[in-house]
Amino acid sequence: MSPKHEARLPLAFIPAGSEVRLIALGDEIDPLQREQLTAYGLAEGRPIKILQQRPMTVILAEEVELALEHGVARHIWVERTTDAGAA
Amino acid sequence: MNTHPAILLVGHPNVGKSVLFHRLTGAYVNVSNYPGTTVEVTRATARFDASAELLDTPGVLALPSRSDDERATMRALLGEPVRCLVQVGDAKNLRRTLTLSALLVELGVPMVLALNMHDEAAARGVTVDIAELAEELGAPVLATVATGGEGIGHLITAIGQAKKPESLLHYDEEFERHIAAVATAITQHCPHPHLAARGLAILFLGGDSVVEDWLREQGGTAYPTLEALRQQARTASEGDLPTLLARERTEAADALAASVISRAVKSSPLLSQRIGQAVVHPLWGIPILLGVLFAVYEFVGVFGATTLVGLMEEGLFEGILNPAFTQFMEANVSLGWLRELLVGQYGLWTMGMTYALALILPIVSTFFIAFGVLEDSGYLPRLTVIANRLFAAIGLNGRAVLPMVLGLGCVTMATLTTRILHSPRERLITTFLLALAIPCSAQLGVVLGMLGGVSFTAVLIWALAMVGVLLLAGFLAAKLIPGRRIPLVTEMPPMRLPILGNVLKKTGGRLKWYLIEVIPLFLLGTFIMFALDKLGALPAIIEAGEPLVTGWLGLPKEASAAFVMGFLRRDFGATGLFAMAHDLSPIQAVVGMITITLFIPCFASLMMMVKEQGTKTAMAMVGMIVPFAFFIGGLFNLVLRAVW
Repeated sequence: MSPKHEARLPLAFIPAGSEVRLIALGDEIDPLQREQLTAYGLAEGRPIKILQQRPMTVILAEEVELALEHGVARHIWVERTTDAGAA
Repeated sequence: MNTHPAILLVGHPNVGKSVLFHRLTGAYVNVSNYPGTTVEVTRATARFDASAELLDTPGVLALPSRSDDERATMRALLGEPVRCLVQVGDAKNLRRTLTLSALLVELGVPMVLALNMHDEAAARGVTVDIAELAEELGAPVLATVATGGEGIGHLITAIGQAKKPESLLHYDEEFERHIAAVATAITQHCPHPHLAARGLAILFLGGDSVVEDWLREQGGTAYPTLEALRQQARTASEGDLPTLLARERTEAADALAASVISRAVKSSPLLSQRIGQAVVHPLWGIPILLGVLFAVYEFVGVFGATTLVGLMEEGLFEGILNPAFTQFMEANVSLGWLRELLVGQYGLWTMGMTYALALILPIVSTFFIAFGVLEDSGYLPRLTVIANRLFAAIGLNGRAVLPMVLGLGCVTMATLTTRILHSPRERLITTFLLALAIPCSAQLGVVLGMLGGVSFTAVLIWALAMVGVLLLAGFLAAKLIPGRRIPLVTEMPPMRLPILGNVLKKTGGRLKWYLIEVIPLFLLGTFIMFALDKLGALPAIIEAGEPLVTGWLGLPKEASAAFVMGFLRRDFGATGLFAMAHDLSPIQAVVGMITITLFIPCFASLMMMVKEQGTKTAMAMVGMIVPFAFFIGGLFNLVLRAVW
């Protein structure tokens, strides 16, 4: 496994306060919903800030606050850019 | 549709489109369902030009259209005599705004871009070089703050001077060839009166179903040529064609946005952001949610459905209007049947109009006000986030919380509100559960009055039965109704203070639409009741139900009439059951209440089901609910007799 590959994490498992970069939207997400997410601005390489994980994953992507069910956030792959403490 | 030149407001959801619309129009608006959809569009005459009509289209996340809202907007673009397109965008999220512009500019219609919520962008340290952006787009761009009325004058001037914008991007050469081929075919076989063939070609290649239908209809025998061209483009493309086209637009928008935006270092979060986050907090969110739901319930379910309905129904209609009208009819109309048709027990006035105006109108008015406030405040999507998990179990998502809670006030009105749900499947399940297991305030009153007098255990058994049925039926409906549950993904717009004028104007428009749509339905329903009664069918139905009521449910035979009358006239049913209360054993009381709660709440709610779901679906639901209500009632009769 390459180091880059190891850094891939599901959005649902990232603690609130962290900042991450989006790597990919998993194929498990419904195609229409994937289009919807892209339209919301969730494209590859975009920075995302995690605001909370409960009761749903809430993120800030370019001044847009989005709430996602864990069922979706689990299939969104991201890499960390800062830790919760450092943010 | 109309023949006046139309100015269309188009944009993402929650960018302040409706407030901007309010600023550009006079006091009166018309709210209606866009033909063939349950999506609401608002029209009004422009304040600055009496010959032009302004249209507030539903918010679109992206085009080509995929959702009901987007399809309705696409239909408006295709069907209205568009003079000018006003794209309302979010100034603090320019990338997303420009991604949509990248498609809209291809339609070849004069366009203006209003970058709204400029104040919020500034507060977050985002500055847009407006002049540079206007230069790049080749169309007027303005900064507006709709809530504060800023930039409206300039916007009106710009609408008058709007020009056809320039393309934002050149797609990949290969794509450009396919676009050109389709556009040429469209120009040749089915040109659109005002939309550019190139724009339609991009939408068609992007899989827009509304554009596809339009081309199929207009192109006739030439349509297969278009379809063949699209198929060629799909085969040649390395990957999903719509996705690749969308990606190119996103990249072009990104590049343009990056060149005109500057960001200052952000200070601490704004108050509106803090409030917005507090209301979805895992801990504080719940008491806030309960507080809001309680306030809505008090305003709609208690003030609207009880106080105002009391004043209107008992005070105005039954106290003053109906006796006066009846007296007038008795004095002036000699035909007995005609008199009865108008002011009899199932009279068009005494039942139909009284129901529509005295019973439903106050409830719907208060609901529309409450809904308008929730809508404009930005709380609505946050409410769904907090309530989401609760509804996931029954195949729904958090959006269903509002109809379900309002159902405790009035199921009829709650059925109307199922239109806020996004998929037809969610609307169907919610409507079904409302009709089956949610007791309305009238039923709750009877249940608590009657079972409260029996014992606390009786109330508890009834409540557990309702929750059990709700969960079971929801679970089964989610399993059996085709389609799958779409997980909730929702944008949470900034929290804002609603503008009263806008809420009231929208309420007025929605009420007008409601009255036009609902009154004929109530009159028709009343007429059917009248005919059934005259033909002697009602006593027959009551008699036919007796063996079931006495044998299976173990109730006295008079209960059969109470069931039928309770459905027809809420007030009769309630008094009918109360009158019987002394003669019922505790088991009979519990069984009777369980059955009547599961039964369709009332005639008005049935009419609303017909209106929202169509006659066939509504009848299928009745066909399930009625036997199910008796089945469960009978089951409790057997079990309770064995153990109690």
